[in-house]
Amino acid sequence: MIGLVAVLGAVVLGAGVVLPVTRVSLAVALWLQGAGVGIVGIAGAIAFFGDRVAGSGFRAGVHPGFGIDPISGFFLVVIAVTALPVLVYSVGYIPGLASARAVAGLGGGFLLALIGVVCARDALSFLACWELMTILPAAAVLIAKPEVVVRRAIVEYLAITHLGGTGVWIAVLVLAERGVLGGASLGAQGSGVVALVGITALIGFGSKAGLVPLHMWLPRTHPVAPSHLSALMSGVMVKVALYGLIRVAFTWMDPAPMWLGIALMLVGAVSAFGGIVGALVQDELKRLLAYSSIENVGMITVALGSSIALEAAGAQTWAAIAFAAALLHVLNHAVMKAVLFLSAGSIERATGEHRLDRLGGLLGRMPWTGAACAVGVLAIAGVPLLNGFASEWLILESVIHAVTMSGDAAGMVSALALAVLAATIGVALLCFVKLGGLALLGRPRSEGARNATDVGLAMRAGVIALAAGCVVLGTFPGLVFAPLLRLRSGPTPSGTAAGLWLPGTGGLPTLGLLIVVGIATALLLRARGPRTEPAPVWNCGQTDEPALAWTSAGFSSSLLLSARGVLPTERVLTRDAGGGVLAEVRYTQHVPNHFEALLYRPLQRVALRCAHVARRLQSGSLQAYVAYFVALLIVLLIFARVVGA
Amino acid sequence: MTGAELITGAVMLAALAAAPLLPGLIQRQKAYLQGRIGASVWQPYRDLWRLWHKRVVQPSGTTVTYLLAPAANAAALLAAILIVPAAANAPQFGVGHDALVVVGVLALARCMLALSAWDTTSSFGLMSAGRDLTFAVAGEFLLALVLLTAVLPVGSTDLPAMWLGASGSGIWSHPAHWCGLAGMILILLVETGRQPIDNPDTHLELTMVHEGPLLEYAGRDLAYLQWSAAARHWVVMLLAAGLFLPHPAGTLGGLAAVLGWVVALTVLIAVIETMTAKMRLLRVPHLIGAAGLLALGGVASWILGAAL
Repeated sequence: MIGLVAVLGAVVLGAGVVLPVTRVSLAVALWLQGAGVGIVGIAGAIAFFGDRVAGSGFRAGVHPGFGIDPISGFFLVVIAVTALPVLVYSVGYIPGLASARAVAGLGGGFLLALIGVVCARDALSFLACWELMTILPAAAVLIAKPEVVVRRAIVEYLAITHLGGTGVWIAVLVLAERGVLGGASLGAQGSGVVALVGITALIGFGSKAGLVPLHMWLPRTHPVAPSHLSALMSGVMVKVALYGLIRVAFTWMDPAPMWLGIALMLVGAVSAFGGIVGALVQDELKRLLAYSSIENVGMITVALGSSIALEAAGAQTWAAIAFAAALLHVLNHAVMKAVLFLSAGSIERATGEHRLDRLGGLLGRMPWTGAACAVGVLAIAGVPLLNGFASEWLILESVIHAVTMSGDAAGMVSALALAVLAATIGVALLCFVKLGGLALLGRPRSEGARNATDVGLAMRAGVIALAAGCVVLGTFPGLVFAPLLRLRSGPTPSGTAAGLWLPGTGGLPTLGLLIVVGIATALLLRARGPRTEPAPVWNCGQTDEPALAWTSAGFSSSLLLSARGVLPTERVLTRDAGGGVLAEVRYTQHVPNHFEALLYRPLQRVALRCAHVARRLQSGSLQAYVAYFVALLIVLLIFARVVGA
Repeated sequence: MTGAELITGAVMLAALAAAPLLPGLIQRQKAYLQGRIGASVWQPYRDLWRLWHKRVVQPSGTTVTYLLAPAANAAALLAAILIVPAAANAPQFGVGHDALVVVGVLALARCMLALSAWDTTSSFGLMSAGRDLTFAVAGEFLLALVLLTAVLPVGSTDLPAMWLGASGSGIWSHPAHWCGLAGMILILLVETGRQPIDNPDTHLELTMVHEGPLLEYAGRDLAYLQWSAAARHWVVMLLAAGLFLPHPAGTLGGLAAVLGWVVALTVLIAVIETMTAKMRLLRVPHLIGAAGLLALGGVASWILGAAL
């Protein structure tokens, strides 16, 4: 029954993918894609909430197999909950792009590939869908924006994810070859194989998820993509990469070794902090959002690592809670990041600006998009009452319990991770207050922002639906959290869905907090009393000079200045003084990218040098190629003779 | 609900009205230490009364954010007061008693105030808000580790359980508790905006940290914000007293000890404010970070001590 529903959904989605080729209206194709994703999501929801399994199980052979279990079901729900509003948004957004039909078709194909990855049950289908998931959005981006900078970003994306992706191939093929996919125990293969699979999976899936240091493609690619694709890539694709990691560590490795847990916590903490600091120094809206995805993937990875550490230390209950916390953040981040990327797309279209310092005052000018964006900003800033806080609270609680329960080495790493995550959440607040303030509040800082009006109905509907999702998930996190706990046979949570009540915590009564803070705010607003006539902002008696308005760099400067020791900022101040009069003062500030200078450039140089050597082999003469074939044949014959005997 | 629970609940609710006494006490003692006569301890109430009878302002060009910020700020502090227990048997007010949730609602209050600064785009407000959030980055790093030292003995972030875990004298044989106490004193100064971190008495806009966004408010809006600042004193002092200062486990004895410590902490702040000048702004995160390392050392001593 679930299988049938899922197949029906996939067929409808497939029809929506093919349809843009014909002359049928683009909207029909997109609605069809939406319907397909929705149906697949329903199948996933039945499997996830009903704890059911359908289709084939994992198999070691080469016969293609697809199936759904509760974990796949959860990821299908994540895909559907994000993609459905994104597709509604696309109805209004895609027609404004170059080659709209091709982009629509490839976008649908991308969704199909994402669904394929989480439903694949054999190595070959998994790898095929995995590669499609990488290539299809790249093609869509190239078609939608045929500019040089975009092409360079896409090359970088393909290079890093393919180089890293070899890790995925090695891990999955080893698992298939050793029969682990067919049910054999990985632990019985010896610790060498476990280490090989663990490390290759971490590199392979980690590079696709955007974990530091293999993250550089993410902040380049996501901002140049059309916004609906950025939302899907940042919200869903990086999570599907984590799905692979989760399968390796929690399905096939079960139980995963302690060192993997510690490694995940370290990599995750570095990614979280590096990501948010990267976000803080950006002045482009979408690039900032892309960096923040690295931060959130890092947090999820920390939670997964703490789950492994807790499990290895025998703390089953908290291991299950940490696992569920990671997955809840997967869903929450998908929803809020989609809100933010979609509203960024709307803002870009309405104002023609993408730099934060050129926006401003959009809450009044684009009330619907602005309000939805404000909800997204508050959610991702991690303040209570919205969904971001609920899952970040769970992640912090998991890490705290990993400190107390998982022994000395893992405990110390967890304590470090806790401190880093706390600082990360602090920087995230600064970063997103800045984003919200610069984009939505204050006075417009450019002509485009001054003349902005809200976007069309479909684009508004998409972001508002997602913003509503942030509120609902923030008020009733238990709806999703209780079934998530079941995935690793965790405790049954007490209390209602309107809160998170767990042993060893004081509880997070989300609805109670909403009621108390909401009612108190409403009463205080009522009691606010009479007010004076509107007057200009006082500003300590100074006139309000737009040229003196606070900028993105200004707001974060005190943090950057006090962190000079670890994060040196290059600043250039030039004064043009002609004839004793100061004509112009220019100031630029730039935070150098250490990963680029210390890791990527040397690697790039080595790769280019190797390519130079390899080019000599490619002479283009037929005789040379025939000689290569003969040489290869002889080597293979010798090999067969020696090894076969 | 038993009688003892009623008393604890009554103390927590009484804090809603009594919180402005704390800044009043500090100012009074500071004046005494500095050889001035100073204002009465009731001065914060007089200020609130005066503001209550003035009209609020409505700067042109502001949105709902400006309107919402003072009320939401006070509401978040109200929730914080209801979360932080005065004794282990604190009744449920429907908002739970979790340590990390307190950190969250305090961040919510800070976030609303910073957004209001963006709404008015007042340069002084934004300068202050940027500094406030910068200190909060280091502050949350420290607070997480400080709270962790109080979580370790009980393995729970439930504040009543942590309150009980810190009671009695056994806890004082652990170095982690001492490190936590040292960090908590600094948290107290950061969260309440006291010297050497911030100077609440300053009238020089360029040096403001917490007060900057308040410059654009008047009337009852300003009253809400001033009450919130006072409530922040209560919340953080009660956390410090309940989690890090010696008190008996029983309700009445514990309550008396904790309230006594809150008053003692006002004395401590008055002394610190009299003895120290404000630090260089950019040095503050370094001080807080160093305290965080101390707390991390405390956590390490606990974990490794348990392993030995």
